Amino acid sequence: MSILEVIQLEKRFGGLEVLQGIDFSLNQGESLAIIGSSGSGKTTLLRCLNFLERPDKGRIIVNGQVIFDADDPSTQREGEVRKKRLHFGLVFQSFNLFPQYTALQNVVLAPKLLAKELPDFTKNKQSYFNEIEAHGRTLLDQVGLTDKLGAYPHMLSGGQQQRVAIARALALEPDILCFDEPTSALDPELTGEVLKVIRALANRNTTMVIVTHEMDFARSVADRVIFMDEGVIVERGTPEEVFGNPKEERTRQFLARYKESN
Amino acid sequence: MTQLPMIIQRLSESFILNGKLFALTLLFSIPLGLIVALGSMSRYKFVQGPVRTFVWIIRGTPLMLQLIIIFFGPGLLDLPFSWPGGDTGRFTAATVAFVINYACYFSEIFRGGIQSIPSGQYEAGQVLGMTKPQIFIRVTLLQVIKRIMPPSGNEVITLVKDTSLARIISNKEIIMMAGEYTNQGLIWPLFATGIYFLVFVGILTLLFARIEKKLDFFKA
Repeated sequence: MSILEVIQLEKRFGGLEVLQGIDFSLNQGESLAIIGSSGSGKTTLLRCLNFLERPDKGRIIVNGQVIFDADDPSTQREGEVRKKRLHFGLVFQSFNLFPQYTALQNVVLAPKLLAKELPDFTKNKQSYFNEIEAHGRTLLDQVGLTDKLGAYPHMLSGGQQQRVAIARALALEPDILCFDEPTSALDPELTGEVLKVIRALANRNTTMVIVTHEMDFARSVADRVIFMDEGVIVERGTPEEVFGNPKEERTRQFLARYKESN
Repeated sequence: MTQLPMIIQRLSESFILNGKLFALTLLFSIPLGLIVALGSMSRYKFVQGPVRTFVWIIRGTPLMLQLIIIFFGPGLLDLPFSWPGGDTGRFTAATVAFVINYACYFSEIFRGGIQSIPSGQYEAGQVLGMTKPQIFIRVTLLQVIKRIMPPSGNEVITLVKDTSLARIISNKEIIMMAGEYTNQGLIWPLFATGIYFLVFVGILTLLFARIEKKLDFFKA
């Protein structure tokens, strides 16, 4: 059963149509790689899923529930959106860690704030917080940062910061974890450690949408691949289909350009 | 020279007025400045426009002139409002003028600080399900405070010395007091007032250095 369905999504900035008629679905436990050149709309698509941009048309359905419908303003109210965006987690290209918090604090801040909204919070504050902290430690352990719990972001390398950001996104246990070019801001020698963490997530059947320029990584990790160009999905399929035997001329050109530049 | 202890005492007493004006101005102009900053960043043009025009007028005219207008304005314009009589009225009018003036300067510092926070910080808070107030208080506020500390320090130091402008509406602050001796042919009390300002600013400089050091645990 598909966990995510995107139906006829459209987004324009002024006169520029950034997304046109985007349709796709994703099954529980699958990872989807979105590839395409800069300006193809893939980051905008990810931002629409996370409610950082409001699509002009279309619907987004998670677990059978319509969480966004451009024609239904009741799905767009501020308070509603805040809850609904928690279906998604987002890892940014530029990490966006909170500089005044340690690695662990970055991971536990949002869960703690959300716990405060629970009806029995005042009674069980300490046990909630202990639980959240323990979970945060486990997550940082999973991304290989056990010894960096108390480090502030500026003390960490880019790769370490991005791994904290991944742990932070995982802390809220999103249904679908999105990555927006997670290694593009990293020095080449640091991309490996981040890709390794994402690969481990894929092996544990985390549902993911990964916007990436790392073609080899997309090919080996993704269950499905979408190639976007100028705001439309040009081609989709398994990695073997899209990378091994692309049907569309635009896909072939893009992959050829990519091979040349490497 | 037998006058020395008495002159020192009178200068010190008059400097209390500078200190009080300084403290009250900071106390009220910082929160007011934050409100003005939010107004000047409002997405509603009918809020942003007037607020920015007001800031332009206040920053574009001398504080000395503003003191005179605020103190004498109500009487000259026959407004139904008037300042209390005597020293209280003069001091209150001076405080109001200073608060308005400094709120406008602070508002620009705050605006700069708030707008310098990368949008990624807000977006990271949003995708983590935080409310707007939570993002402001938990995520951006401390970063803003860290960034505005150096320019705020500048402003606070300027305020110390600006308090002497209150004499234009006959508040008996330290320079006005020293001026009375100058009129009698005694010039050194006027020079001595510099020491008061220097010491006060010195203390504030140390204080700001300490705050900045305290905020040094993170980079933003």
